[in-house]
Amino acid sequence: MAVSWYGIRWRAWLLQVSLVVSAIAGTSCTTPFPAEEAHVVTLYQAWELQPGEQIAGYTVAGSLGDIAIEMEGHAAFAPFNGKVQPYANAPQDCVVFLSNEVPAYLFRLCGLKHPRYGFRQAGAAIGRAEQLQFATLRQQPDGTWALVEPSSEILERVLKRPSPNQEREKTGVP
Amino acid sequence: MLENRGVPRFSILRFSMQFYLVMAIEAMKTRYTQYSTLKPLLAGGLMFVLVGVLIDVHGGLSVGRQERHFYACQGDVRPEVSLSKEQVAEVLTIPERGAKQQVRGILSEPYCMLPDLEIRSGVKAEREAYPLAFDPNTWLVVLYEGEEYAGYRFSGD
Repeated sequence: MAVSWYGIRWRAWLLQVSLVVSAIAGTSCTTPFPAEEAHVVTLYQAWELQPGEQIAGYTVAGSLGDIAIEMEGHAAFAPFNGKVQPYANAPQDCVVFLSNEVPAYLFRLCGLKHPRYGFRQAGAAIGRAEQLQFATLRQQPDGTWALVEPSSEILERVLKRPSPNQEREKTGVP
Repeated sequence: MLENRGVPRFSILRFSMQFYLVMAIEAMKTRYTQYSTLKPLLAGGLMFVLVGVLIDVHGGLSVGRQERHFYACQGDVRPEVSLSKEQVAEVLTIPERGAKQQVRGILSEPYCMLPDLEIRSGVKAEREAYPLAFDPNTWLVVLYEGEEYAGYRFSGD
């Protein structure tokens, strides 16, 4: 009797320990996503002050070429299927959104709190912001990126919460 | 670019679940099992498995979504269109801001058009998609603004 009881306790103990260990291993190996590679963008307009830079002890939140939106903590959404990466010039403050469906352009979003890096589907939230600084950059023949005037269409895609039945990018080609 | 980040996670969880089940069955099989003593332990274990599965399903789904990539074609589709290596190599030599006609001269008609967009204010962007003959899961997407070729990107790679 006593031996069996110890056997049960031992097994239960082993079970518990193994579960704790496997749960820790399972979560710790996976939850912190591999650090997303920062995207280096060489700007065509080499202006003196850029987002993320310091001036008189303050951080530059937006530069010439950004549109600032009062978002009051609401979410911004991926305008297309694409990738969110830290903006190498200001990885703490800004992200770059790139889509293989939109050649020659990239979008820079500054002011997102805890942005979600990596691939995002069109319409997926990419982070919340109090004040979003949005810029559209167009690729130049020399490989630099020029700040251009963002269209309302793209801004709406970024700002509007997509309705559940609204299929923004319908799948057409297998 | 699209590594199967979910795979090791799945195997760890599957392992832990299998281990849990085996141990639970073993415990049940023992003649002197005092169920009341084991109950909280089983419940605790089950909680861990549930948490793990939730994390797993969440991550697994997002990985699944990333790997699927489709194009939103608009209008006519030309299923016979695909690009050869020579065509791709040639079109990459054309600088951005080149003429649309020059690009179209190499690529000819696209597989399909993607929905029109206005990316920068006041300029309509046209996007055309071509599958690659030598890599059918990869697409070349070309963007024009008026008669100007703006750039390309490969998709699905």
